[in-house]
Amino acid sequence: MLLAKNRLLELLEHLSTQARVYVPARLEVASLAGESTDSGTLSHFVQYAAGVQPDFELVNTTLPPKDMLFPQTQKMYRYGFDTDGVPYIDPIHDADEVVVFGLRSCDMASIDCMDQVFLTKGYEDEFYAPRRQKLLCVALACGQAAESCFCDSMGIDPNVAANADIQLVAGDEAFSLSAQTEKGQAALSQWQAFLSAGELPVAPAPTSCSLKVEANGLKDKLEQMYEHPLWEQISKKCLTCGTCTFVCPTCHCFDISQSNRMQMGERFRSWDSCMFFDYTEMAGHHNPRAAKMPRVRQRFMHKLCFFEERYGCSLCVGCGRCVAQCPVALDITVLIDQIGAAPLDEKQDVEGAVHAG
Amino acid sequence: MSDSQSIQASLRSRAAELLASDQVAELIGWGAGRFPDQTTPLFITQADQAEGLVYSEYCQNTLGKYAITELSELVADQGKLAICVRGCESRGINRMLKDNQIERDRLYLLGIPCSGMKNRQSGELLSKCMNCSHKNPVIYDELLGETVAEGEPDRFGAVCALEECDRASREQYFDAAFDRCIRCYACREVCPVCTCRECFVDQHEVGWQGKQGNTTENRFYSLTRAFHISDRCVECGECERACPMGLPLMVLNRKLVKDLDDLFQAGEAGLDAVAVNSLGTYDVADVEEFM
Repeated sequence: MLLAKNRLLELLEHLSTQARVYVPARLEVASLAGESTDSGTLSHFVQYAAGVQPDFELVNTTLPPKDMLFPQTQKMYRYGFDTDGVPYIDPIHDADEVVVFGLRSCDMASIDCMDQVFLTKGYEDEFYAPRRQKLLCVALACGQAAESCFCDSMGIDPNVAANADIQLVAGDEAFSLSAQTEKGQAALSQWQAFLSAGELPVAPAPTSCSLKVEANGLKDKLEQMYEHPLWEQISKKCLTCGTCTFVCPTCHCFDISQSNRMQMGERFRSWDSCMFFDYTEMAGHHNPRAAKMPRVRQRFMHKLCFFEERYGCSLCVGCGRCVAQCPVALDITVLIDQIGAAPLDEKQDVEGAVHAG
Repeated sequence: MSDSQSIQASLRSRAAELLASDQVAELIGWGAGRFPDQTTPLFITQADQAEGLVYSEYCQNTLGKYAITELSELVADQGKLAICVRGCESRGINRMLKDNQIERDRLYLLGIPCSGMKNRQSGELLSKCMNCSHKNPVIYDELLGETVAEGEPDRFGAVCALEECDRASREQYFDAAFDRCIRCYACREVCPVCTCRECFVDQHEVGWQGKQGNTTENRFYSLTRAFHISDRCVECGECERACPMGLPLMVLNRKLVKDLDDLFQAGEAGLDAVAVNSLGTYDVADVEEFM
């Protein structure tokens, strides 16, 4: 099926009447009096509405699409005393039908990772599950790779997003659309008025990343490197800010807290970061990861080893957002090279390391 | 040989000498990153690692803050900690000395005159370097290279321009910025004067700062931090450079620097390690315009 590029906005308009539609767009950074910062182009997925300019040329967005499924702040329930002094608890369930248009393969793979966390192993998250069920994922094949993209080294094809409902490929005049799931098939049949039969006259050349890493065998190697001096070395420059975790499409840790006002309050969960001191702080102020090194090690071990042990896939999808955004250039691709090159000393192969995450 | 190449050559040879002679136990400079012209903070402890040091016009990281963590891990009798200091780093070091965060006699400061650093992607001068008032280090043990001429920075140009805008547009402008904030706290972590053992943000039992990501909470965080560092801000601009979301943090900081200058003739922070903090002292002649 084909969607003419000049009918795209019509389709988005139409879909917006039935669902919240998210598209990649530049994040406008206004300058009021000529002041400037060094942030460069910022972008994110934003709800389509009048005035929003979707930008499908963006390689990938500065902020990942994860907040559609896992918002930075997810309100869980309200509580308090009513006018008669009777306590109440009102759960908040706010999942809407959502269409995300223009996900990249890495973004789709990150949703697969979050599905593992929030929907498997006998646990189904009551906030994630309905959002996921109501999400239609429309992926767009990458026409180019950014300097920091390395998804194809992580087993992801930038040209096809394996589990997307619908895969788009951009041609000169039109997008080709193919349904990859039943949900995608059903959507395409509803979009018929905007589509035409056919194929792209010229299939675009497949994209590959110029940045390559060797990710095979990483988990096995890391299982023997828990006490390796490499962690001390690479963590020195880490600021322990949360940039990498918050721009990461797969980082999914959260903290639960509340805001209280007079006789009522709200319980909510919000993104947390293993880079933060208070992430592991316990009642009584004991902190098993008070220092910088164990926190840095935890982040990379979780990405490249522990997650794979539990779920059978890497928690790094090679989107390169942390590579591009880390303020001190602590680069996971450099680390992957260093892990590959690190000599294994028997003394460092500490018993039980695998279970210490 | 360009200035930066000759500085790189002296830096490498001095680093090797200092480390080989055990005068210093560790040295913090810059090394090469993965991408063209990219640099990254580098920590070395052996003379043969000195060849990995890089000095170019793309050394965007300000290194001063690392003095705290590295000194806390170095055993005093192992030798000193050497750090490369340009104007921005040196003022941060002075502030940390003044705040008793680090000890001068445990530091060896390799001064580097700096004409400003560039963004490797755009090739343009970093905005944090545009209105630099101290290109030459203000404290050092030895200077690598010749001092450079100080410019005529317009430190408060953007602040004055913003002051001219009406209140509603300023509010809209800053709220749009705070709305973008993702609360990664990179601004705090990279700041040489954000040295509280426990930040107000992390005092959950008191609960100054809520964890919800929204404009109100984000505004509270950024404004409180700006006030808290106001009389100590050395105007290095690292907070704004580190910010992944492009918040105009320096215009906030410089507004407060300017106000303190107007009210208390506070001057520039970090020019030496002894000057008093304008908000930490009381003088009966202080203005009391709100009393």
